[in-house]
Amino acid sequence: MASVSLTNVVKAFGAFKVVHGVDLDITDGEFVVLLGPSGCGKTTTLRMVAGLEDVSGGEICIAGEVINDRPPKDRKIAMVFQNYALYPHMTVRQNMEFALKPQKLSKAEVDAKIAGVAGMLGLDALLQRKPAQLSGGQRQRVAMARAMVRTPEVFLFDEPLSNLDAKLRTQVRMEIAKLHKQLGTTVIYVTHDQVEAMTLADKIVIMKDGYIEQIGSPEEVFAHPKNLFVATFIGSPSMNLFRMTVERGDKGPVLSSAAFTIAAPVDKSGKLTPGQAVTLGIRPSDVRLARAGEPGAIEARVEVVEYLGVEALVDLRVGTQEFIAQIPAGERPAPDETVKVVFNQAGLHLFDSESGQAL
Amino acid sequence: MNKISTRQATFVYIVTGIILIIFMIPIYLILASSLKPSADMFSRPPTVFFTPTLQHYVDLFTLRPFHQNILNSLIVTLGSTAFSVTVGSLGAFALSRIRHPRINDAAFWILSMRMFPPIAVVVPYYIIFKSVGLLDTPLALIIVYSTANIPLTVWLMKGFFDEVPEALEEAAQVDGYGIVEIFYRITLPLAAPGLAVCAVFCFIFSWNEFLFALMLTGSSAQTATVAVMSFWSSDAVQWGRIMAGSFIILIPGVIFVLTCQKWLVKGLTLGSVK
Repeated sequence: MASVSLTNVVKAFGAFKVVHGVDLDITDGEFVVLLGPSGCGKTTTLRMVAGLEDVSGGEICIAGEVINDRPPKDRKIAMVFQNYALYPHMTVRQNMEFALKPQKLSKAEVDAKIAGVAGMLGLDALLQRKPAQLSGGQRQRVAMARAMVRTPEVFLFDEPLSNLDAKLRTQVRMEIAKLHKQLGTTVIYVTHDQVEAMTLADKIVIMKDGYIEQIGSPEEVFAHPKNLFVATFIGSPSMNLFRMTVERGDKGPVLSSAAFTIAAPVDKSGKLTPGQAVTLGIRPSDVRLARAGEPGAIEARVEVVEYLGVEALVDLRVGTQEFIAQIPAGERPAPDETVKVVFNQAGLHLFDSESGQAL
Repeated sequence: MNKISTRQATFVYIVTGIILIIFMIPIYLILASSLKPSADMFSRPPTVFFTPTLQHYVDLFTLRPFHQNILNSLIVTLGSTAFSVTVGSLGAFALSRIRHPRINDAAFWILSMRMFPPIAVVVPYYIIFKSVGLLDTPLALIIVYSTANIPLTVWLMKGFFDEVPEALEEAAQVDGYGIVEIFYRITLPLAAPGLAVCAVFCFIFSWNEFLFALMLTGSSAQTATVAVMSFWSSDAVQWGRIMAGSFIILIPGVIFVLTCQKWLVKGLTLGSVK
């Protein structure tokens, strides 16, 4: 087990920078997820930690030692690849043995390790098979087994679930969470799937265009997004945004648009100046139907209702502005109805429209 | 996949049979002529039934050192094949993995080695080998054949290496292996069908080669193909011996291809990555 730290890490291909000065501290045993859309530099960052890409600038330390120039084999890491990268000409057992061979263990030790990991992942019956004879989920487990058998200090996962179907993905996700709990090894996990990130991570690192947008626990990035990108990237369905202007009201500043006017959140009112352009963000789950006669309710027209069982997603329209409310299925209105909704005060997020940063 | 109907199967068998017969006719003629007594060789109409004789084969080895010629051919062929496949696959691995804007130029340059007509370089080769004292040695032919075989191997193997997913090599790197071990424990085994194809091509080219062997060898390093031609002299053509020699020359190629056949099976990389 080991801590990992990245200091101002840069990756450039010629003049083209793909990772711009990433700073990241990962403590011993932490499960860190690098999350972002494709092309955001998350896989490149992981590959730099693995030693599969040269570091163009900055420092990467594992367990306090700078490992920039060390080959992958001297970094005490193990990696699970997106496409599993199982050696096709070897059986499951040979795949694991191959990973152990450089450690020069005795035959008994090798056998014990393989038996242990195979037992943990339920691979005992598959040891003599070749990768071509395995299902997708089984290959994925073999890939994890091959990584685990080496008892590395740091596990690297590169989108390990992206080739699995939805049901299997949920199952393997839970297995990974359990294994991490059991082994306590430091994990760096790359994904573009926010559900994986939210469910697995101790710490989520959200990246975009080679920059880190926010680092925080799943709760933090969900409840306190630092900017518009994080706000809309995390959460499904994504946050509703309204372009508003700050105006002076009777009891402090209010936010106004052509469609509606609401009071600014009290804790943010100090940061607002009249005439300022702001973006108001509210998660669909923080929009609810108003009670009869509730003050501050906004009248909206129901466009589409998506019934999801427990909940319903209601597409609403106020003037030209469309937004989504996530409400209990039992309360759902009918399409074309006019309803009154209110925004939960605690769920209001304010962003500077120009910089996109949270206020 | 649809099952092939009986009618289609019959058709396939008939066409295959016709092609097989066309290919087998020369081989039959060689074998038949090598076993015919000299008197029956050119009788008209051709004799179909004759008393076979091994006299031509006996002559081949008693009147001539044909076993020595065969040995020379084997040395030259196996030497060149082994050398070409080794060097060629290493070169191909480099070409397949190195990222460089001019790497394709290098690959083309290697291929261009194969483009010149052999007859154009026979004389320069002769002069060079004479001056370094390699004339009439198997080594000279190994070198010459390798210059033709290596480009072929490089290009064939590059295609096979390109097919091996780089993720496998990266996985092996992370698992703790260096580039040399990765090459011969992961990449090369997965490109084994390609290796077999290259070996077969190199073997056949070297084994059958005639022009360079004729010009660059004398008595001691003479190969089987050239030796057979020596039965064709100004006063007589000894067809029986030529045919006997030709038939013997056919055999190693067949054995070699059959040996390599099990490696020629494709599909080894199936299922490694999804």
